[in-house]
Amino acid sequence: MVDLTYNNLKSGVRYSISWVFGFQYARRTLIFSAFLPVLLLLAGLGGCTKDSQDTTAKPVPYIISIPKYFPTQLNIPSDNPMTVEGVELGRYLFYDGRLCGRTDPDSLMSCSTCHMQSHSFVCGIDNPRFPGGHPHGLTGILTPHFMLPMINLVWVNNGYLWNGSLAAGNPLQAKRQLEDMAWMVIADPHEMAGDTSRSKALIQSIPGYPELFEKAFGSKTVTVKNIGRAIAQFVRTLISADSKFDSFLSGGSKLDEKERRGYVLFMTETGGDCFHCHGGEGNPLFTTNLFYNNGKDSVFTDPGDRYSVTGNLMDEGAYVAPTLRNVAFTAPYMHDGRFKTLEEVINFYSSGLVWSASISPLMHHVVTHGVQLTPSQKSDLKAFILTLTDSNFIKKPAFARPLKFPDEQ
Amino acid sequence: MMTSADFKRIRKTQSISVFAILLIISLFVNLSCQKSGVTEEGPSTPTTIVIRFENKVDSLPLVLDTMIYKNSSNDLYKVTDLQYFISDITLHRDDGVDYTVFNDDGIHYVDARIPSSSYLLVNASVPYGKFDSVSLTFGIDEEENISNRFLNPPERDMYWPDILGGGYHYMKMNLLWKKQGFDRTYPFNFHLGIGQVYKGNVINPDSIISYVQNFFYVNLPASGFSIEKGLTKSMVITMNVNQWFTGDNDFDFQKYPNMMMQNQAALHNACLNGRKAISVRFTSGK
Repeated sequence: MVDLTYNNLKSGVRYSISWVFGFQYARRTLIFSAFLPVLLLLAGLGGCTKDSQDTTAKPVPYIISIPKYFPTQLNIPSDNPMTVEGVELGRYLFYDGRLCGRTDPDSLMSCSTCHMQSHSFVCGIDNPRFPGGHPHGLTGILTPHFMLPMINLVWVNNGYLWNGSLAAGNPLQAKRQLEDMAWMVIADPHEMAGDTSRSKALIQSIPGYPELFEKAFGSKTVTVKNIGRAIAQFVRTLISADSKFDSFLSGGSKLDEKERRGYVLFMTETGGDCFHCHGGEGNPLFTTNLFYNNGKDSVFTDPGDRYSVTGNLMDEGAYVAPTLRNVAFTAPYMHDGRFKTLEEVINFYSSGLVWSASISPLMHHVVTHGVQLTPSQKSDLKAFILTLTDSNFIKKPAFARPLKFPDEQ
Repeated sequence: MMTSADFKRIRKTQSISVFAILLIISLFVNLSCQKSGVTEEGPSTPTTIVIRFENKVDSLPLVLDTMIYKNSSNDLYKVTDLQYFISDITLHRDDGVDYTVFNDDGIHYVDARIPSSSYLLVNASVPYGKFDSVSLTFGIDEEENISNRFLNPPERDMYWPDILGGGYHYMKMNLLWKKQGFDRTYPFNFHLGIGQVYKGNVINPDSIISYVQNFFYVNLPASGFSIEKGLTKSMVITMNVNQWFTGDNDFDFQKYPNMMMQNQAALHNACLNGRKAISVRFTSGK
């Protein structure tokens, strides 16, 4: 299991350093020995001037341990490096209902109001506040799309949201990074329906928060930018890599016969043909994070599909392929939540595909309306997909609501 | 623990060392020859070679998502994705000396949607002299085609499932095609990689009895190409998309069932055509 808690940080640092420098250690030892007296002299000089230096403690780097076979390239902006203090602050803000700028108990809304750990950070189909799993904002306006799980977002490099609009290529500079989600959510009429000045002022006034901002960003002054940075840092720690399938890949668990048959179906063109868009042993994120028209419709009326971002007619009706990790917890499915169960999704890919001019060629089974699985094959495929369930992810204390907020310490 | 890739790299390093020794020897020989009036031909300050990968459809440049191309069966098609690996690009000098491009570990990924993937800048001590051919591997050879060698996109997304042989797609070309005069389009996944032999020819992954390496070598004439001091050379490697569908085995979209990954006959025929799909040309400048 990959443990990203603060207690394990030191070992992570040690590992990283030894990995990077291990190769050339022996050769460098000789060179280092020659310069050792000079270095000691410099260190001594440094010690003499120590009292005149700024004594403010610098944030401690937060090292993400990369699970086996996961990408080594992380999407962490250079102006928002991960720190232990930043992640801690981000976790408070993620769960604090006062982020919306209101204090009335009936009007509180935080990221976690909809993004619930128990559902891999979607609101869940059984959520009494959001019937059918379709969230709405404080004013009752439904969100344009259903939710995407917040899993392994540190590896998303093609843009966030169903259409990938939150990306470097967005003409609006303020809508290009995960960091920008905070102000967008605060201001959006279908989410917090607030204003950023009020949120910023309220967080500034809550005892404990200014000190946390200082620890994380060097200033007690709360800014919307730093609110966004802190929350983004916390979200980047939400890593799922502890499923039965991960254990299988590492040579631990074995798949049972039903799961193995489902695995074969998942990985073959003549089976379920899932791997091209949803990854597999060669891409353990279980998504390419790319955009596909997967054959749900023949007429497209959603103004928020991938076409709205690229203007390419081949992107009509296209949305990002969501990760299948923890898909057992993230119903309903698709951008519009049209499928309530995994069985409905599998039935769709088996016999419900619809042709359109912009259908992805990867959906080549559209000529037979789907991959035409038998009932037992559907059951096998589902069994395999459930091996991607990471129950520790939805229970992990480091991802959970803090026991106390800064003003309750 | 060392992997086979490590061994190959070491072997290549050893080859370079041997090559370097040979170069030093040849330098001494050349120096002595100069004294007797023989012209200079040896290594070499670093030379720049710009390799550009160009995708065409016969004489037309490839434009993605545009239904303007015709195959030998007179069906119209458009390409939505074109991604492939070319590896072990090697220059062969007329005296038997070879130079292999080691950028990207010798495996270069080309993606028609990623302009930067169309260029490869080689700054290396390439031996001077006249070269008579260029060879390359289309795809990745058996020794280097190792699962999980690419952990990051876009190369990662070329992975070929282990159960089908593992490693990576040599090429993914996704198409929509249609008969002339009709609106309805049909998808086609022209995906190349390791093939499978199935017991009793029943396409069931549980009955795979062996795998077939479908990567292939291409040797292209390069007469007149020379590496000279102070000159930047540009090599253009062109892939003619239409050639994959044309040749001894005309590839009719209607004949194959939209997909090829588990159809070794289709993979074989496609790769036979593909041997003629690659060409090379050179330019030079100061």
